[in-house]
Amino acid sequence: MKRLLALGALVALIVTAALAQASGQATLRTPTSTASVTYVEQSGQVYVAAGDVATALGGTIAPDSSGFKVTVNGVTAGFGPDSRYGVVRDDLIEMPVPPISIEGKPFVPWQFFHGFLAKAMSMDVAWEAATHTLALRPAQRDAISVQVSVANVQGISKIVIALSAPAEYSIVKEPTAYVVRFKNPVRAPFTEERYEDPAIASVSLAGGDLRIQLTANDIVGDAYRLENPPRIVLDFRKGAAPPPGTPVPLKPSAPQEAPGIRTIVIDPGHGGREVGAVGPNGLLEKDVTLAIARKLAAALASTVGARVVLTREDDSVVSLDQRTAFANQYKADLFLSVHVNAAAVKNAKGSETYYLSLEASDELARKAAETENVTSTPNPTADLNLILWDLAHQAYVTESSRFAQSIQEEMNAATAVANRGVKQAPFKVLVGATMPAALVEVGFISNPEEETKLKSDEFQTMMVDALTRAVQKYKTDYETRIGLIQPAAPAPATATAPATTATRTEP
Amino acid sequence: MKRAVVALAALSLIAGACKRKPETPANLNAANKVAMRMVRLYYESPAMLLAAETRNVALPESSAAAVPVVVRELLQGPATPVALRLYPADTVVRATYLLPGGTVIVDLGGPTLTQGWGTGSHQELMAVYSLVQTVTANFPEAKSVRLLVNGTPAETLGGHVSVTKSLLPMPSLVDPRFR
Repeated sequence: MKRLLALGALVALIVTAALAQASGQATLRTPTSTASVTYVEQSGQVYVAAGDVATALGGTIAPDSSGFKVTVNGVTAGFGPDSRYGVVRDDLIEMPVPPISIEGKPFVPWQFFHGFLAKAMSMDVAWEAATHTLALRPAQRDAISVQVSVANVQGISKIVIALSAPAEYSIVKEPTAYVVRFKNPVRAPFTEERYEDPAIASVSLAGGDLRIQLTANDIVGDAYRLENPPRIVLDFRKGAAPPPGTPVPLKPSAPQEAPGIRTIVIDPGHGGREVGAVGPNGLLEKDVTLAIARKLAAALASTVGARVVLTREDDSVVSLDQRTAFANQYKADLFLSVHVNAAAVKNAKGSETYYLSLEASDELARKAAETENVTSTPNPTADLNLILWDLAHQAYVTESSRFAQSIQEEMNAATAVANRGVKQAPFKVLVGATMPAALVEVGFISNPEEETKLKSDEFQTMMVDALTRAVQKYKTDYETRIGLIQPAAPAPATATAPATTATRTEP
Repeated sequence: MKRAVVALAALSLIAGACKRKPETPANLNAANKVAMRMVRLYYESPAMLLAAETRNVALPESSAAAVPVVVRELLQGPATPVALRLYPADTVVRATYLLPGGTVIVDLGGPTLTQGWGTGSHQELMAVYSLVQTVTANFPEAKSVRLLVNGTPAETLGGHVSVTKSLLPMPSLVDPRFR
């Protein structure tokens, strides 16, 4: 009897202890109300009952095929039992650990609501451990956040002022400055930023005045505003404004801004444990790309008269972001990523050249950003990234297309295999390059016949020769178009041919 | 003995009171009408473009419930001999979400994608867009697809195509007869 009672007491203690440690009632506090919600603590992580919180906020929760959907204030977020990422609109909500289910009831890490309610209610959410309170308060938005980016796009100095919310302002022209005078309080992560730009010397913020100091008094500016996300854009150019898109030759007195193709970054695809595609006989893409890139760098350095840099010189891992960052840091004028292709179609053959497509990947991101900014908390960092992406796209997509075309023409001429053409795709390694950039696929390693070729020194040299001609051809074409070199007088027999053909330099 | 029985009964009552009443969510799959429906699955054709293979699949009426079924069907590979499988055979669909606004989140996993898929640009491009094309072609409310790997955002599936943003269909990759 005693034993039985002792056992019962022990079980009761265990149950009680487990409950005390594992669950309880927390307070959900909003600026206007309080409510009780169930919470659970496991391994130091606080989970709250998603349904309790949703109901307390006037929302709903419903299961779906892969998890649950919570709707609050008309905004729906989803989460599943296996993922520590929830989703709201097109954004992810990061949680420290995945949600859990207790007796069929979903419990989410409290951080889920931190991410979700910022979107749904413009609320900041915090867990106050001492009082077991999930506290909601309006997101702090006492001042409009300002971020500035400057880029020289085809000879036009463009400054983009990204705002975290729409603002009232006026623009005042001074002899050597433009002042954007905000009526709202504004804040920026800088007091003064200096730029090595032909037109913009510095940007400073004092009070509500954002001062754009110009390098000379003969610089004219055009200002316009963009919405969703809110931006103020000013374009500056020297003297009378030429038609948009007209190349503006830079003065010889500014050698650091001298145009032309002076630095080329060659990117051997993959490396290290990231072997890339593997041929049927074991040839690795990373080895072929490195071999071709090394030869190409040597050939370009001796024939094109530009500084040539490789993103990797050995069998090392370099992340995709690092590759373009590397090119940007070197202020490269041209970026070429060398790859070897693979396809499910076993007899696929030939080369193809890609340049970045934004329309497939970015259109929706832009729309999502617009929606987000219209209806909820803006994200200045994301907005700025979008703007910089836009700028890079506008500035370089045309040149990248020309560069890719030049490559493909030379590859076709050299290999005499099926022309797979110039294509656009959202290749990660091309994203963020602030110069004309292309990715060439020199052949299909998945095709045994081409795998044998790709391994041979003779074929690699043929590819290198073609790529060298392509770079030289593009360089001559570009430098002719911007007036750096004079176009060759067309010979009578080739009067209709492009000038670049006449000035092409064979290696 | 009576005391023992009473004590156990009391303990049982306490435990029962402490235990939350199960709140099993309604099963949407059961609530939905499941019927054989024709779906279009996009695989690579010998012309190296995406071409649709039609197949009858038992699908729930709800699109949210049907999306993972269709994606899993796609990953099983083509039935027609000339069409080509694009994803590694060990790829799995961990979860999908059909969000308001038309974004479909597809969370993929499996040993190959986890350890690093060694493939070429073309195959990766076709694989990514076969999934995008299949989802958007079969579900009118689906406008774009966002891919995750093992529940987390990935840069690429195999080192080439950026999947850091939602992807819209790319008609240039689809055989004109199947657009």
